[in-house]
Amino acid sequence: MAKIKRRGESGAAKNYTTRNQALKKLQVSLSDFRRLCILKGIYPREPLHKKRANKGSSAPASFYYHKDIQYLLHEPLLQKFREHKAFAKKLARAVGRQEWGLAKNLEDSKPVTRLDHIVKERYPTFTLALQDLADPLNLVHLFSTLPTNPIPGKTLVPTEVIAECGRLINEWKVWAIRTHSLRKVFLGIKGVYYEAEVPGHGGDLIKVRWLEGYEFQQHVPTDVDFRILLTFLELYRTMISFVLYKLYTEENLVYPPPLDVEQDGRGETVGAFRLVENKATGASAETGVSKKAVKRAIAGIAASGAATVEDEEDVDMEDSADADEDFVERPSKAADEDVAGSAPLPTYTSLLASGPSSSKQALLFSPYTFYLSRETSSRTWEFVIRALGGKVVTSLAAPTPGSGPHADTITHVLIDRPMTDERRREMEAGRKWTWVQPQWVADCVNQRKVLGTGEYAPGQLLPPHLSPWDGEGEVERPWLGIDGEPAVVEEEEDEDVEVDAEVASEDEDEEDEDEDKENAPEPAAFPPALLAAAQKPADKALLHAAELEAEANGTSHTAFRAQLKEATKAHGKAATKAKATAKATGKADEDLRKIMMSNKKAKLYEKMKYGNAERQAEKEKLESRRKEIEKMARKAARSGKK
Amino acid sequence: MAPRSVSAGSSRTRAGPSKAAPKASTKAAAPAAAAPANTRSRKRAAEASPEVEEDDEAFAVGGELELSDEGEDDEDEEDEDEEAFPELDSGSEDELEGDDEQEVDGDDENDMGDSSDEEILNDEDDGDESGYNTSDIEAMYEDDDDDTPDSSVLGSPSSGTRELDVDEKLSRMIARNTVKPDDSLGAEGQISQAKKSHGKLVPSKLVPGGYRREYDEIEAGYGSESSTEDNPNTIGNIPIEWYDDMPHIGYDVDGRKIFRPAKGDELDKFLANTTTLDAWTSAEDRLMQKNVVLSDKELDIIRRIVQAENPDADFDPYQPTIEWFTGEGQERIMPLSAAPEPKRRFVPSKWEHAKVMKIVKAIREGRITPGKPTAKKPTVYGIWSESDQPHQEHAMYMPAPQLPPPKTAESYNPPAEYVPTAEEKAEWEEMDKEDRKTDFLPAKYDALRLVPGYKNLVQERFERCLDLYLAPRTRRVKLNIDPESLIPKLPAPRELRPFPTTSCVQYRHPGDTRVRSVSLSPKGDWLASGSEDGVVRVWDVATGREVWRWNLKGGPVQHVAWSPNADECLLAALVEHRVAILAPLALVAPAVAAATLTHANTGFAASAATTKMGAGSETKGVEAIKWVRPTELARERGELVYVDVPGTPKQVTWHRKGDYFSTVATEAANKSVLIHQLGKHATQCPFKKTNGAVQRVAFHPSKPWFFAATQRYVRLYDLAAQKLVRTFMTGLKWISSLDVHPGGDNIIVGSYDKKLAWFDMDVGNKPYKTLRYHSRALRSVVFHPKLPLFASASDDGTIHIFHATVYDDLNMNPLIVPLKILRGHRITDTLGVLDVRWHPEKPWLVSSGADGECRLWCS
Repeated sequence: MAKIKRRGESGAAKNYTTRNQALKKLQVSLSDFRRLCILKGIYPREPLHKKRANKGSSAPASFYYHKDIQYLLHEPLLQKFREHKAFAKKLARAVGRQEWGLAKNLEDSKPVTRLDHIVKERYPTFTLALQDLADPLNLVHLFSTLPTNPIPGKTLVPTEVIAECGRLINEWKVWAIRTHSLRKVFLGIKGVYYEAEVPGHGGDLIKVRWLEGYEFQQHVPTDVDFRILLTFLELYRTMISFVLYKLYTEENLVYPPPLDVEQDGRGETVGAFRLVENKATGASAETGVSKKAVKRAIAGIAASGAATVEDEEDVDMEDSADADEDFVERPSKAADEDVAGSAPLPTYTSLLASGPSSSKQALLFSPYTFYLSRETSSRTWEFVIRALGGKVVTSLAAPTPGSGPHADTITHVLIDRPMTDERRREMEAGRKWTWVQPQWVADCVNQRKVLGTGEYAPGQLLPPHLSPWDGEGEVERPWLGIDGEPAVVEEEEDEDVEVDAEVASEDEDEEDEDEDKENAPEPAAFPPALLAAAQKPADKALLHAAELEAEANGTSHTAFRAQLKEATKAHGKAATKAKATAKATGKADEDLRKIMMSNKKAKLYEKMKYGNAERQAEKEKLESRRKEIEKMARKAARSGKK
Repeated sequence: MAPRSVSAGSSRTRAGPSKAAPKASTKAAAPAAAAPANTRSRKRAAEASPEVEEDDEAFAVGGELELSDEGEDDEDEEDEDEEAFPELDSGSEDELEGDDEQEVDGDDENDMGDSSDEEILNDEDDGDESGYNTSDIEAMYEDDDDDTPDSSVLGSPSSGTRELDVDEKLSRMIARNTVKPDDSLGAEGQISQAKKSHGKLVPSKLVPGGYRREYDEIEAGYGSESSTEDNPNTIGNIPIEWYDDMPHIGYDVDGRKIFRPAKGDELDKFLANTTTLDAWTSAEDRLMQKNVVLSDKELDIIRRIVQAENPDADFDPYQPTIEWFTGEGQERIMPLSAAPEPKRRFVPSKWEHAKVMKIVKAIREGRITPGKPTAKKPTVYGIWSESDQPHQEHAMYMPAPQLPPPKTAESYNPPAEYVPTAEEKAEWEEMDKEDRKTDFLPAKYDALRLVPGYKNLVQERFERCLDLYLAPRTRRVKLNIDPESLIPKLPAPRELRPFPTTSCVQYRHPGDTRVRSVSLSPKGDWLASGSEDGVVRVWDVATGREVWRWNLKGGPVQHVAWSPNADECLLAALVEHRVAILAPLALVAPAVAAATLTHANTGFAASAATTKMGAGSETKGVEAIKWVRPTELARERGELVYVDVPGTPKQVTWHRKGDYFSTVATEAANKSVLIHQLGKHATQCPFKKTNGAVQRVAFHPSKPWFFAATQRYVRLYDLAAQKLVRTFMTGLKWISSLDVHPGGDNIIVGSYDKKLAWFDMDVGNKPYKTLRYHSRALRSVVFHPKLPLFASASDDGTIHIFHATVYDDLNMNPLIVPLKILRGHRITDTLGVLDVRWHPEKPWLVSSGADGECRLWCS
């Protein structure tokens, strides 16, 4: 006989506990439970059968996985919370009694909560940590831009926390510059999105995307609970610092990198850090280098013989940041120093470091030196350009591009305000600078090549800035293709159709009448290649074949064009007609067969159909609007010509 | 022998006050009492006669005797004593005793002077002992030891002879060994009392020359039972009625009778109450049976009790609190524990000292630096290595979904088509935050420097954080399939031909009256239709010409049905309260007409009456049903028989042989379902009562079974066995129509709630399939009698044709394929197609609609 199953002893009823039950079991307050959940990454679940999970009650409740709560019982953090609670009581008592000595002793032996075991537990491998890095980076970036003097009653973020967030993002960026791992930049209305490729566990590259808001005072809404945000931030800070430690040590660098206080004070961001090689471990690292690193190094040598020189400069530039303070574009000068100083070791380490930078894209801007005009955000562009191998002269170093000592080395000026040609020439003073708007840099990065600067000149209306993450099954825009050719072809065709439409509309009635008669003989009248070309007007090969055939037949080009047009039209009509009939019959068929669908499948079918139709409608709406706008533009252009 | 009597007397007087003391104890105490009594007697010996010496000797002898065998001999001796003076005891016992006691009392009072102090002392000692060390028997004995010399010193300073010492020792030893620790107290008390019993010898009145000892009146001490009450009556707590017949009401402490006080009659009482002032402050003393005037003090106590105060007038509820443990001067008068402070309280701990010294030594040697911060774990270190293993795959592990990447719409400079128009902007603004597809409005800026700060950045991060820890997570499988693959694979309709596809003939009714019902003759050449104008029409199927008509003048024709018997030409039509059997005799061959007439009229011939009850046992309950012969004129028109039935018959269905037919009527209670036999003009009412209003009935095509569909269920009855065979749960709300497959194993049920249910009777009571494809109520469902087809007609104006193959193999499910939707009937007043019938042979269908038309649909 089968074992009798009792209610509430297996399945959902056993698997889930409500929040209140969890609180009772853990004997913690709601706020402590919230902290625990945030730090441990415990989240409520949506049981398949809520009523069963709630032991027959249908009252609203949030359910937690029973084992999650069970594991929390042994959590060291829980113990720490209790210790802290006791500590707070003791301290308050001591302070209340004005026993200052006791209070000081207590304060000295304050229980410290450490989250490293949680980081390891939540992200057992480095790859998992990297995959979850987007949220931490976003939040840390946000906090780094919060006002450092807390707004009373609004933000209660300690200044140290904000400073630490700023330090962390700068360290992160310094690492990205050093390894040239930035891949994509997107200027959105919320801020600047970046994507970097980070080598994870076992060397697989993980894409990490983060958002950095624009440099404005953040609007802090009143209903934002900063306690929650700070709890998250506590975990994220710990996690990012561990990730950075791992990344820096993999690059054989000391973490945390020493901060040049003077530079920092002058408003430098990424430039204020000095990267120090881990000399002590360098020797041992030589013996203990992983196979992969060696492989990477070899690949680096093979791929970019020339690139290595720049890499060396790039790697070592930070060491000599203090050498010249007025000139931010350090590489050139630093290079000779370092090469002279420690010749044998740097080449090897730089080879190691040059692994990721050996790809073509990382060195996109390596021949160039950019001057960042003061209205451009140096925080963004210095990072982007340097991460792609370029050199940067900021407005900090030279108020105008021509004023600094390195005016001659400048190749590009990044400027975000309109400027007349005269003024530009005046500033150039005989030198040859390329003046571009910042979007050019982002577009170059995303398209992985140095674009023409004609469209990006200061004061000009820019071409649309597209997201590099488009085209993942989303709305596609072939007309905005990179090479632009298919778009042009399509446009031409559109025009043809338009012209034809006027002519055809008169003939349509007659044609309709003797459609059947015409349709039958006509295909026979056209040569086969022409017919094929007519059926697929977009295919150039077919068109070419048809032309060749026409030549062989001895038809003139104009006659051929006329024939082709006729054939195309005829085919189009036939096709549409066939489609219409097929649709009619098909529709009827479909309708009837659907009767026999089960209820569940019918609902699913309807849902899918609805979703598809929505997406299609969206697509069509964009398409039609694009056409409309283009037509308007063309009209305007025509009227302008006249 | 006087001393013996004295000893007896003394023992008796002692028993007086301690009445409750157990007899055993007195017996045991007697020898013990003897010894101290000796000391007393010696004391008295100083003042009194030589007889005292005799007395002493006698006691000494007694003492010796006691030594040899202790208790029994003593008792014997006492008994002998009593027996020795029977006259004495029996003569005037009361008076004598009374006298004795009085004399003794007086004597004792005299002696009180010297003995009272000692007695008080003893009493106190006793009290102390019982208060502190009741259990400590040894201590008690020690006290006893102390006492006796004391008393001997006090009582008889001249005593101290050797014999007496031995005597004392002996008696003490006996007392120690015989007395139980608890009883010893009482015994001691008696002993002590015996010691101080200072009776005095007075000459006896009865015995000339004799003396008797008179004792002091007994002063009830603190320890005695009667000490607290000053009640002279000693009868105790017994019903006072027992003394009702006696002149006295009890005895005083000395055993004298207390006589009943004089009691006046009621008048005296009344007078006393009215005249005496303190009458109302007096209370009756039950024992003394007289009124006692309460004192002021007692009245005050009563008053206090009534007012719920403390009865003690001296009690001060508001006296100042004395803080016994913490007050000024730490006045702790009473020790809480008598135990002395243990040594460990004031000797420093060696163990602690060792520990402290250890630390001191460590500090001196520099191993411990006070105040030095503890070694800290580094804030960051390498926690990941190459050997890390990821999580085990688990169904409950659900990592949070990543944020989707930004699309071009979010660009600061998107293509122009992304920029929303003014209406779209307004619409977006109006929408609730939750309903918006995107959390931002796309905008286009000409230059990067013109982009403003994004207002909702903090809010969005916050919401993401909330989502991460608050939003319930579940795994959802994303179906990436072609929706078309969900549609079942079925054979194409064109492979399942023939089936009706087009409307061939229309039969128009004048005035577009609704045609409720339609029926095809068994050979398929005539079409009968029943319309709401009360006319039954017969049409030529092929041409659409009306060839015959009957106006039944009974309101709308509810239903018409041809008899399936092809040899006859019978048509049943229903109007209100009546079933009409019709035959278009002029249209048919003479042989057929003759057969028809014979069949219809044999019933009349048999009964030879115009009205007749049904034959057989079922006559009961069908009185209201009459088989009526129409008028001559009507008969000529072909109206052969009328059957008057209760209610409005709604449906008529023929048995396959054409003799029986069944009708279903509304408003007819248990006579709604009737089975009529045309040949005998008989009617049966198969159901005594029906649960639920029957909507439709049907005969099984091959078995003597009968289907009855109520609103929700279809019941199958065996008419031969007269029992319910099965009940089909349709799951429908209101059944409108029912048909049985010609094979007999499947039924279809149509309902007003737009559903059609197919039952495979071999499978179960639940539908094999429930289909919902009509947009309005179904009116009629019907199987083709020969071909694998069925049709359903609905109020949405359409007729659906299905192919339905039923396999002989029980393992194969019936194949149902939708074939065609026939459209053509107009919807009038929300009514569409009302009835459909198949042609008996061909794949043709006739339908009748609310638009006043019948149609023939051909393939």
